[in-house]
Amino acid sequence: MNSPTIWIIAPAVIAVLLILVRNQRALSLIGGTAAVLLAASAQFIPTEEALKVGALSFRIESSLSVLGRELLIKPEEGPLLALIFGGTALWFFGAEASKSALRFAPLGLLITALMVASIAVEPFLFAALFIEMAVLLAVPLLAGADQPPGRGVVRFLIYQTLAMPFILISGWLLAGVEVSPGNLALAGQAAAVLGLGFAFLLAIFPLYNWIPMLLEETHPFVVGFLLWIIPTITLIFGAGFIDRYSWLRTSPELTTALQFSGLLMLVTGGLWAAFQNHLGRIMAFGSIADTGFCLLALSLDLRLGIPILFLLLPARALALAVWSLSLTILREQSKTMRFGETRGLLRRFPFASAGLVLASLSTSGLPLLAGFPARLALWDALARVSLDAALWMGIGIVGLFTASFRSLAVLSMADEYTGWEVGENWLQGIMLGLGMIGLFVLGLFPQAVQFFLTDLPAMFEHLGR
Amino acid sequence: MFIFITVGILLFTALVLLVLRFAAPDFRFAWLTAAGGALTAWISVFVWQANLPAVTQLPLWKPESIFRQSPLFIADGTAWAFALSIVTVCLGVIVTAVARENFPTPLSWTGVLILGALGVLAVTADNPLTLVLLWAAIDLAEMIAQIRFVEHPKLSERVVLSFASRVTGILILLWASMVSASEGSVFDFPSAPPRAGLFLVTASAFRLGVLPLHLPYASEVSFRQGFGTALRTVSAGSSLILLARIPFGGVESPITPYLTIFVTFAALYGAWTWLRSPDELSGRPFWMIGMGALAVASALRGNAAGAAAWSCALMLSGGALFIASAESRWMDKALLVGAWGISALPFSLTATGWVSERGGFWYAMPFLVFAQAALLAGYIRMCRRSSARATFENQPIWAKNVYPFGVYIVLLTILLLGFSDWDGALQIGNWIAALAASILAFGLIWLSRRVRLLSPVRAHWVRSADPDWLDAIYQTTWELYRAARRVIHAFSNVLEGESGIMWTLLFLVLFISIFIRGAP
Repeated sequence: MNSPTIWIIAPAVIAVLLILVRNQRALSLIGGTAAVLLAASAQFIPTEEALKVGALSFRIESSLSVLGRELLIKPEEGPLLALIFGGTALWFFGAEASKSALRFAPLGLLITALMVASIAVEPFLFAALFIEMAVLLAVPLLAGADQPPGRGVVRFLIYQTLAMPFILISGWLLAGVEVSPGNLALAGQAAAVLGLGFAFLLAIFPLYNWIPMLLEETHPFVVGFLLWIIPTITLIFGAGFIDRYSWLRTSPELTTALQFSGLLMLVTGGLWAAFQNHLGRIMAFGSIADTGFCLLALSLDLRLGIPILFLLLPARALALAVWSLSLTILREQSKTMRFGETRGLLRRFPFASAGLVLASLSTSGLPLLAGFPARLALWDALARVSLDAALWMGIGIVGLFTASFRSLAVLSMADEYTGWEVGENWLQGIMLGLGMIGLFVLGLFPQAVQFFLTDLPAMFEHLGR
Repeated sequence: MFIFITVGILLFTALVLLVLRFAAPDFRFAWLTAAGGALTAWISVFVWQANLPAVTQLPLWKPESIFRQSPLFIADGTAWAFALSIVTVCLGVIVTAVARENFPTPLSWTGVLILGALGVLAVTADNPLTLVLLWAAIDLAEMIAQIRFVEHPKLSERVVLSFASRVTGILILLWASMVSASEGSVFDFPSAPPRAGLFLVTASAFRLGVLPLHLPYASEVSFRQGFGTALRTVSAGSSLILLARIPFGGVESPITPYLTIFVTFAALYGAWTWLRSPDELSGRPFWMIGMGALAVASALRGNAAGAAAWSCALMLSGGALFIASAESRWMDKALLVGAWGISALPFSLTATGWVSERGGFWYAMPFLVFAQAALLAGYIRMCRRSSARATFENQPIWAKNVYPFGVYIVLLTILLLGFSDWDGALQIGNWIAALAASILAFGLIWLSRRVRLLSPVRAHWVRSADPDWLDAIYQTTWELYRAARRVIHAFSNVLEGESGIMWTLLFLVLFISIFIRGAP
């Protein structure tokens, strides 16, 4: 028994088996339960230690060799897997409510397994291949079998695919840097190529235009999942690079680049969101700004930045899950999701509208909601470094709030004397209700997620210590 | 601990009312339950005096390495005065509900009790983090309540505008915290640096609830007198507490004189419009502006106790007037206790109002005293409008007897706060300024019957919409917004169009070259 078999191969096998199931509820329940079990086992079952169950004694090894390559899940990475599979479970349980479980459950689980493999594989440059496979699998998820893929899907594929050669080349260059650490020119080239690879993967400005395009043309629930899993894994993957190479870790240029790109993402995401007339595009720019927050966290002193980054991730997962589910429900009523068509939906779909607004406010950083504690800590730490940078962060936040207020205004502007009704079905109501409660719980008690976030920095050798 | 007893009573009563509404919709004693709960909470606030000051810490936010503060509450003299004012107004609103046309309204009482609980928590917040959490809770509660009741799309828009203006106040307070962090200190009320102090004043002003000028309540007067009064009072109280927490020297800045001039203008505008308002509900936003400006001016003079006193007077004297909806034999005369509360005369609630800890504001004082006089004159004029109030013809006899108690308890609290244990009690203050204001107020009342300029305007002149100059500001802002939107859409269209990938790569190269040039 070994860790990669449990957390990579087993979910992939379950995903393949799920293709045979044709019942939405069964798919949602099986996928969600499998993800929860995988998360719980990652959190609580120790690896590389002898375990005794009755008379049976066994040990879970942390590595598996495949075709001369190694998949390695270190014991310290258990909480990370719990976070990934826990977040994935949110989407699977919501899949039935979004009526997308048929394709989403099997492909989503397979994508998750591949993304986990991307952070487990050694040597690391093979990660690019796993990420590319996950991206390719996302295409049938985004584009229906009976319709040609839209421009957003094509652009998503192009930009994510462009990341692969850059990561592969950087791997080759970094090998050279390891051999001759004094070669500054080579190190600079390696860093530049690596940076470009991550810029494509993380959809850093101006490479993010596929995100609003996708949310205009495809299922918001599926896009929400991709907007959570790809940046999350990429950020962990990127943090791994910073941890591995001391010259990168100590480089002041890296800090400046991360701060610059983070602020650029946040400010453009926030301001662009403020001027949109489309609920889907607002979510797109919200998620872009969210990635900006994560990059800013990485630009800080990493003893502070890493705990802040890990605090940002669960809030992002929950907010995106609630946001995308709400948007999916509203999309059934208003196909275009433009403001003109969504006017007054709050009175007909109170749960979905409230979920959308709360998720958006959480991403903006409204106190009391899940996004606030991490943003407060980030803002505070950034202000200590540079008040100018904190001001730019404030401008981005104001943009996000403006978008939230505009969404709220449009959704609440019903015609005169329109009565209140509940248009969602009971399952949608329960899922959104639980999600909204979760947003408040995380906002009021950020320590609630500490039981698995506390040990997360241990997965790095140097970061967060 | 006592804080949570009061809050617990209010929330428990609200919960009981909510359960009763669904489990037993025909329950006849809902009002009694609400009033009983509110009265018990009111009494429980006096118990705080047994252990002042008392600090209560909620579980720490973790990891502690990144959170320098956690939710923390303090019950001290100032918080006690604010909490008592808030609970008193809530009690008054519920007790006087018997005389309103829309009686019974258990859902509205539930809202009043929840708002009261959140208000008490907000005024006892001991650090900015706790305060912003409570502000957000109050804002969300208010927004939900308002959206639930408004019927017109234009009014829904105003609900959002009002919510946005309050959230702006939250952001300004958070920014004050960042300014403090940039100077290497942990932002706390007692140690707010001067640069941050001014942001506190601005945050408080934004949250006073005067933007937009008229909140989008349902048009019924009974709703505005009941739930509307609680809403206005709690939001004002929870915002103005910030002024009472600004330390002496916390507003010392080169721009303080300019801010003082601006606040003086606001006080004059609010007081003058209040004086000429046709009735108390139409004039309520101007009452808030006028009294709020006096509180802000006190804070700018380094007089935190004075700011607290004006704030409590805003809630209590205003609250008594706004909930007085029915005609009663002694009501006109009793309401004059509210006028005493805002007179700033020795041993009144606002006796500390004109104390100046810092000199140098002589140029603003005469105008501020005039503003107080206009507010006082307007208040006395409104008190004497008994004919405008509803009669008891359709009310049962018990309602006739119970209703005045709701107003009297608010008036009693005004007297109590002039004498009982807090920083503003038993003070003589600056009696010369107070006397001048009182004489001026009587002069204004005398003149108002003789000079047309001082007479109240007709009701339709005080529009239930924002005035023209505000419309012009909205219009200009909207035009600017549309222009910016056109630019951003053009940019998005370029990036998302057919040639978008090429443009994107071009921008990427551009940004990299800018970054490389700018890099050290």
